[in-house]
Amino acid sequence: MADLSKLFDAVLNGDQKTAVAVTQEALAEGRDPMELITQYMVPAMDEVGRRFECEEYFVPELLLSARAMKGSLELLRPLLAASGAEPAGRVVIGTVKGDLHDIGKNLVASMLEGGGFEVIDLGADVGPARFIAAVREKNARIVALSALLTVTMPSMRKTIEALKEAGVRDHVKVMVGGAPVTPQFADEIGADGYGENATAAVALARKFAQAG
Amino acid sequence: MRLTLRPLPGKSLADQLQQAGVEFPCGGEGICGGCRVRVVEGEIPVTESMRMQLSEKELRDGWRLACSAMASAPVTVEVEQWSVRVLADDAMVPVEPRRGWGAAVDLGTTTVAAQLVNLETGEVEGIETALNAQARFGADVMSRIQYELREPGELGVVIRGQIGAMLARLAGGRPLEEVLLAGNTAMHHLFCGLDVAPLAAVPFLSPHAGAQRLEAGSVPWRADTLFLPCLGGFVGSDLLAGLVATQLDKNQDSHVLFDIGTNGEIVCASRSSVRCASTAAGPAFEGGRIRQGMRAGEGAIDHVGIEGGRLAPHAIGGGEPRGVCGSGLVDAVARALDLGIILASGRLTQGEIALADAVSLTQSDVRQLQLAKGAMAAGLKMMAGEARRLCLAGAFGNYLHLLGARRIGLLPEDVEVEPVGNAALRGARLLLLSPSSREERVGGILSVTEHVELAADARFQDIFAESMALEPYRLR
Repeated sequence: MADLSKLFDAVLNGDQKTAVAVTQEALAEGRDPMELITQYMVPAMDEVGRRFECEEYFVPELLLSARAMKGSLELLRPLLAASGAEPAGRVVIGTVKGDLHDIGKNLVASMLEGGGFEVIDLGADVGPARFIAAVREKNARIVALSALLTVTMPSMRKTIEALKEAGVRDHVKVMVGGAPVTPQFADEIGADGYGENATAAVALARKFAQAG
Repeated sequence: MRLTLRPLPGKSLADQLQQAGVEFPCGGEGICGGCRVRVVEGEIPVTESMRMQLSEKELRDGWRLACSAMASAPVTVEVEQWSVRVLADDAMVPVEPRRGWGAAVDLGTTTVAAQLVNLETGEVEGIETALNAQARFGADVMSRIQYELREPGELGVVIRGQIGAMLARLAGGRPLEEVLLAGNTAMHHLFCGLDVAPLAAVPFLSPHAGAQRLEAGSVPWRADTLFLPCLGGFVGSDLLAGLVATQLDKNQDSHVLFDIGTNGEIVCASRSSVRCASTAAGPAFEGGRIRQGMRAGEGAIDHVGIEGGRLAPHAIGGGEPRGVCGSGLVDAVARALDLGIILASGRLTQGEIALADAVSLTQSDVRQLQLAKGAMAAGLKMMAGEARRLCLAGAFGNYLHLLGARRIGLLPEDVEVEPVGNAALRGARLLLLSPSSREERVGGILSVTEHVELAADARFQDIFAESMALEPYRLR
């Protein structure tokens, strides 16, 4: 039998090879894909987040763990889709118009995936129209906006205003983050929440998903 | 340096402190805690933002934030961490003699250096250095650009006024024939009063990045004034002037000119091509966002060795260490790696790293350094794979200890490294002294220059992450 604690360890230690191997073995034995995710990968990514929070882990470890998790998820996703299992929630995420920096956004996207969310990552330099289109198409309930530059923060405000004009603002929760973004700024532009880092973003998304 | 301030009724002390050299990294919003000063006599009441940014102990020890400082009676504060070494330059250069005097100016984000030059002999007859007076509106170029977008024109007035006063003192009544300025793209735009909006969003390309001639009416002095053209993107005429000074574009092989600051600028040049890029480091190399970080002034740890199996710091001025500057931070982490107190991942194996009685490094300090050095190393790996030699321009590069910089993986192990001092100022002076060949020299460089947007390269994230490891690396 596949030793699934090895999956937990592989994600925690950023060992993609082992993560993929254990996942393959488990699937070959007919284990439930959802069990792999909820019992092993989500807790592992939670532990990664905890270690990041207390500064034991840093950006490189986070990226490695995310890579290991993704390797495993790629095998599981088709099976999940076939079984009709619903994710914890759907999040549309992107770095706002004018800003090319996407490392922080990628970390948040990975941690959200690790937290059981389906993440629609639009990339960097994303204009309001693309956020709106993705929300409609995927029926997403959460929109996550990232900016690294103080000078591109106004794009966050514009995106929220565009969501209002398009009539989708009430259907989604908007969360914002990025080095220069503050909770005050989030309030000011009418966002629903602010995440200081990737783990805070996951906690926030979970809160939004539970609230409904 | 201790400073006694006399408050004006109803006015904050921020202005007076700024004039003494205190910088407000976040632009005086009270959100970064970077502008701390220590009260040694008198009282500055604790505000809400000070409570947010400073610990109980720091408040008890007299630390306050300069940006929100108020007082009702005279108060004495210590601002030592804000004094700074500015690199000047007086190397001999070839001269095409003409009559009178001129000035060369290196306008940096943090510091300004101006030289009075005898145009007949090429000699430097005077030099003035100062902190850039715009610093109170933000430490890095992005916060300056943001301020300019909010309050258009103010930063230009501030910097033209400051340089005007410096030139007036230097010239001492003598008429100036010509003033030549070099600086990064943001400084260029702010000084010349150009629209900075293109610098605030992708693709960061301004239509006004070329050479700018300023009329006597638009600068507070009477002389022909020329701001040299930017190389490309955020890479400005300071690097262009650096190329002129080092002549790296005249070699058969590729050589790199590298300026490490809040922004790292990399120019890889050979006879056939010049490629330039910039990569954001954040303020760690200038002591910013480091708990006990300070500028390279009196009392700053600038070098760390090992004695009897323990870290042995040296402070500027030889006295008791009071904080750590960028070069000291690099050294301290290198030696701590040697002792096994820090792992290559950046993780501390103990709570904090004690450098001296009153100075220690935290886990978060090391993380800040990893981000800064990771960005620099990633830029070099992507730009300088073929380079034979690395020329370090600017103050930080000049004071950096090579051994430590290689140990932590800031600079590569397999390439020769040479500090070239303030190459920007030297290049500006060279161009000031060669008026007839200037246009051809500058135009020649610009015609073969290509700007590379590192963040747009799909490989950047992985190379950046891998470059955060505190271990030596090679370019080949």
